[in-house]
Amino acid sequence: MSDLSLLVQMGFGALLALSVYLPLRCGQLSLATPGFYVIGGYVAALLSTRWPALSGDGAGYPLTSLALELVVAAPVAAAVALVLGRPVLQLRGIYLAIATIALVEILRVLNLNLAWSGGAVGIFGIPQPFAGPGGYALATWVLLALVCWLCARLEAMRLGRAMAAIRDDELAARCMGIPSADVKLTAFVISAVIAALTGVLAAHFLNTWNARQGGFDASITTLAFVVFGGSRIWLGPVLGGLVITALPELLRPVGDLRLILFGLVILLGPILFPQGLITPERLARLQQTLRRP
Amino acid sequence: MQVPSAQATAAASLLALEEVSCRFGGLLALDRVSLQVQPGEIFGLIGPNGAGKTTLFNLISGVGRPTAGSIRWSDGAINGLPPDRINRLGIGRTFQNLRLFQRLSCLENVLIGLHHSARAPLLPALLGRRSFRQSQGELRQRALELLELVDLADTARQPAGSLPYGSQRRLEIARALATAPRLLLLDEPAAGMNPIEKEELSALIRRLRSRFDLTVLVIEHHVPLMMSLCDRLAVLNFGRRIALGTPESVRHDPAVIEAYLGVSS
Ligand SMILES: Nc1ncnc2c1ncn2[C@@H]1O[C@H](COP(=O)(O)OP(=O)(O)OP(=O)(O)O)[C@@H](O)[C@H]1O
Ligand SMILES: [Mg+2]
Repeated sequence: MSDLSLLVQMGFGALLALSVYLPLRCGQLSLATPGFYVIGGYVAALLSTRWPALSGDGAGYPLTSLALELVVAAPVAAAVALVLGRPVLQLRGIYLAIATIALVEILRVLNLNLAWSGGAVGIFGIPQPFAGPGGYALATWVLLALVCWLCARLEAMRLGRAMAAIRDDELAARCMGIPSADVKLTAFVISAVIAALTGVLAAHFLNTWNARQGGFDASITTLAFVVFGGSRIWLGPVLGGLVITALPELLRPVGDLRLILFGLVILLGPILFPQGLITPERLARLQQTLRRP
Repeated sequence: MQVPSAQATAAASLLALEEVSCRFGGLLALDRVSLQVQPGEIFGLIGPNGAGKTTLFNLISGVGRPTAGSIRWSDGAINGLPPDRINRLGIGRTFQNLRLFQRLSCLENVLIGLHHSARAPLLPALLGRRSFRQSQGELRQRALELLELVDLADTARQPAGSLPYGSQRRLEIARALATAPRLLLLDEPAAGMNPIEKEELSALIRRLRSRFDLTVLVIEHHVPLMMSLCDRLAVLNFGRRIALGTPESVRHDPAVIEAYLGVSS
């Protein structure tokens, strides 16, 4: 894999980690992220391969068409999340996790069997808006920067505080007037949109999209990003997503041992840092030491 | 502040419980309890352990539902409403077992109480505009004032869970006050405090009442404190209201003496 391709994958990792992080920040263990990633991917694949008007008449696939796919994928994912979120988010803890895994699985089986998604073979020849991985890296990291900025802003607003309160003690938060169901649904919808936008870029990057994308493995991997990086401030999942995606490649020189080392890192992370690598307290301490001359 | 008479009519009451019962399986935690709380009064709820006092608070604040009876607030029924709706109607509460947001700072705890005062236009907030920063600054100022009121301004940045017990109790009060309640439910606010702190708390509750035009419903085991603090008291035993009235009348009520001393007359 080229270095630039790795950068693209790392960006996808960080974006999906942020998508898992948002519900988790209000205490919701939702593993639906790969499902919305898949939906985003199909929106891109279908629009770009079945709607000739989008392809333009130049050599490459127009960037405006890519932008249009993003603009379509976001509300589609948001609508699905709104409809599913109300009933599903009434479940708690491990029950919510299992229900969201089931949703992702249902989606996978549907995609495998429906005609319009290309069935088992999927959709091929998704056109390329960029000539090489460099363009994808740029697009992915711009999207990542935007989503990071959005998360940082949300955390400075009352929504971010309400999310932290619900995570600490939902009943107490409700007794302080916080409509917890709405807050959780908002986090779920934003999470879905982030995953779907990532899926749009991924479909073009991979050139093909099928029912094997974003299955149960992806649920667990994306969760590992957040557990490793930390789930109380947006920087945690970003770091987790970047590092864990890059690690197998970075460890390549080690040879056959690399998968064992990779496993060890994932295992030791939560043992040494139960709250993840990055916590608000650790960040504050770091800032203080940096400020001191 | 003027003390409402014990005979005040139900029509003028702020909160009225009518024949409220609550059953947990085979246990009747509350048995047809009726009482009315008048605007501006400090109303005490006493009774032995397990009498149903906290259960009554849970029903009023929407944490639980009565199995029978009705709870009226101003002039609408509120039983069955969810806790966040009830809080928005003007009922704030604290918890006997302390339910602070432990990992968050004292300031953040109060800021969460200010949730509905913190509404800001979305776009300036997302862009971090000056108008948003200004409103956030004012919000912090209000939170600090509330902390100052309960004597916790010095610990504003510390995690709530790291405070001593008595301070956590006062922080619970500040957080509840931040939601701008008209009725404040205090569940054993003096538990774990020493006699001096208890006296100070009693003075604080009176101060808060006049400053915020509050009505206060308070549960507390320390009977002498309740006698001096409350305008009226209700006594619960085994889920039943066995007495209601001024501290003076309750003190001499034979049913109360029996419940507390365990002697039959
Ligand atoms: N959620 C519940 N499920 C089952 N039983 C409950 C529940 N909540 C309270 N109870 C029972 O109801 C009875 C009344 O409890 P409650 O907590 O209201 O008493 P209390 O008067 O507040 O006592 P204390 O002074 O010890 O706080 C107790 O016997 C208690 O065990
Ligand atoms: Mg109690």
